Amino acid sequence: MLNKTGIPTAEDVKKVSPSPDRLKKGPVAIIECFQEIPCNPCTEACKQGAIQPMEDINNLPKLDFEICNGCGVCLSRCPGLAIFIVDGSYSDREAVVRIPYEYLPVPKVGDKVTGLNRSGEELGVFEIIKVQSGGQKNKTYTLWLVVPQDLAMDVRSIRLGGLRHAI
Amino acid sequence: MQSKETIVCRCEDITLDEIKTLIEQGYRTIDEIKRVIRAGMGPCQGRTCRMLIAQELAKYYKVPVGEVLMPTFRPTVKPVKLGTFARGE
Amino acid sequence: MKEIEVLIIGGGPAGLSAASAAANLGASVLVLERDELPGGQLVKQTHKFFGSKKQYAGDRGFQIGNLLIEQCKTSAKVEVWTNTTALGIYEDGVVTAESQDEHVKIKPKKIIVATGASEKMIVFPNNDLPGIYGAGAVQTLMNVHGIVPGQRVLMIGAGNIGLIVSYQLMQAGVEIAAIIEAAPAIGGYLVHASKIRRAGVPILTSHTITEAYGQESVEGAVICKLDENWQPIQGTEQDLKVDVICLAVGLSPLTELCFQADCRMKYVPELSGHVPIRDEYLETTRPGLYVAGDVSGVEEASSAMVEGRLAGISAAYSLGYGLEAAPKLQEEALAELNELRSGPAGHKTMKGIMKLMDKGEVVC
Repeated sequence: MLNKTGIPTAEDVKKVSPSPDRLKKGPVAIIECFQEIPCNPCTEACKQGAIQPMEDINNLPKLDFEICNGCGVCLSRCPGLAIFIVDGSYSDREAVVRIPYEYLPVPKVGDKVTGLNRSGEELGVFEIIKVQSGGQKNKTYTLWLVVPQDLAMDVRSIRLGGLRHAI
Repeated sequence: MQSKETIVCRCEDITLDEIKTLIEQGYRTIDEIKRVIRAGMGPCQGRTCRMLIAQELAKYYKVPVGEVLMPTFRPTVKPVKLGTFARGE
Repeated sequence: MKEIEVLIIGGGPAGLSAASAAANLGASVLVLERDELPGGQLVKQTHKFFGSKKQYAGDRGFQIGNLLIEQCKTSAKVEVWTNTTALGIYEDGVVTAESQDEHVKIKPKKIIVATGASEKMIVFPNNDLPGIYGAGAVQTLMNVHGIVPGQRVLMIGAGNIGLIVSYQLMQAGVEIAAIIEAAPAIGGYLVHASKIRRAGVPILTSHTITEAYGQESVEGAVICKLDENWQPIQGTEQDLKVDVICLAVGLSPLTELCFQADCRMKYVPELSGHVPIRDEYLETTRPGLYVAGDVSGVEEASSAMVEGRLAGISAAYSLGYGLEAAPKLQEEALAELNELRSGPAGHKTMKGIMKLMDKGEVVC
């Protein structure tokens, strides 16, 4: 149960997942926001009109997968860091997962990092192919990870690196 | 649980055991306990211990915490040096 | 004695919002801030805020703090006294304060108490060992002074503060051994919980701390599982080696000044403790004394800012300012508050406010 562990269940994730066909077509946002809280920056971030305006600010975001082009603006704006972009069209065997990242050190292009699922379990070692800065004000980075197609809907974090304080 | 080393009032170093003993002896309010043992008379003026003592009283007398009589609140809300008064109005 | 139209006690999100709102309508405002800088808890908040554009959603807390400070600085009508703690509110309406080590008297026409809240503590053996901190203290240490509290932390409490401070500790390179929560469910926003969980930190609901141990300072903690009646289950004890135990077990409204001022008070658990009874426009039972922010019931900073604005408008309006604009601004603020609280996440606050407004109050 999400509200006991912080881990979204398979059913939770299914509700916000596009069809396999849509994933194959190209980048698309996965909004893993499962609790009604007063929050709407994603609706204003989306310039494509894919995330519909909310009638009530407590509503869950509604995304039209067909309109979404996976631009990723919502990803870097979501205060809950709950939006990911998955691109199933990257290659036959691999997909790209973009994740929001606010830790140090920020990985570099070409780095191999350990990918984690929603429970923080290791799924393998994946390459970073792009790192986007959120800019001076926003500061949330976007990491682009290349993962096997069958893990595209599972990789959601990476093992935190290097920074530890000396005793 | 050894409540001996369990601190309720950090400012005046008062343990849960001491508070419980006073309640068992018949002290019925936060103000009474404060006068006897100085709980709530330190730098934080009871911000930490007030509601913890209220909880103990509520438990002992089997009443909701909200019914425990609050202490009297007087100026000043924090300890002030005499020099401060001397310098000011 | 300093005379002023609106005196605001507390320069946090509620107080600063109240100051610019009252000043915008034409009132002269004085803000008393205990700390050396205004901003309150906002200065330590490095995460992005929720809400809507009207409450600066998407901006980080400290950025919002800077914005509110700037608004007050640029207003000729607002004066901010830092290093100033209000000490008492007297029957004749005089407020005393310690300002830069001097005792001062202020005679305001209206008072807005925006003192915020203080951290709650819990009792467990060895709860005074060095290395046991309140979550707010850890935030101050890290985000104001740039010091990490230790290497490995046990966080107690999975409300928003526990989750957010855990995340900030991780950002600072500190390991979180676990986040434990006595309630059967996570109290904070689940998006915060999920982002910590997927980085590998366990969140254990229905768990409590049974004791801390260590010679000179914290060396570890024993935690255990709780049954449905919140009683420890024997044999479920776990020993965690940690050097910091961080308490995020809730806040209490800082209402001493309201008690002193003889505001009628009521204990409302949903609002986190004793809070002053007030009307819709945040005026307490002591005429001319308003409350805003956590002191009127512990809630999110977004609502505190709107409450501040509402109290500021109401105080200025009662002095005869903004006779045309104020009623509309009040309605706007009320609508915003209602919007923020209308969902499931605001249910508790709504219930608390209903209890507070209810007539059958207990007078303390």
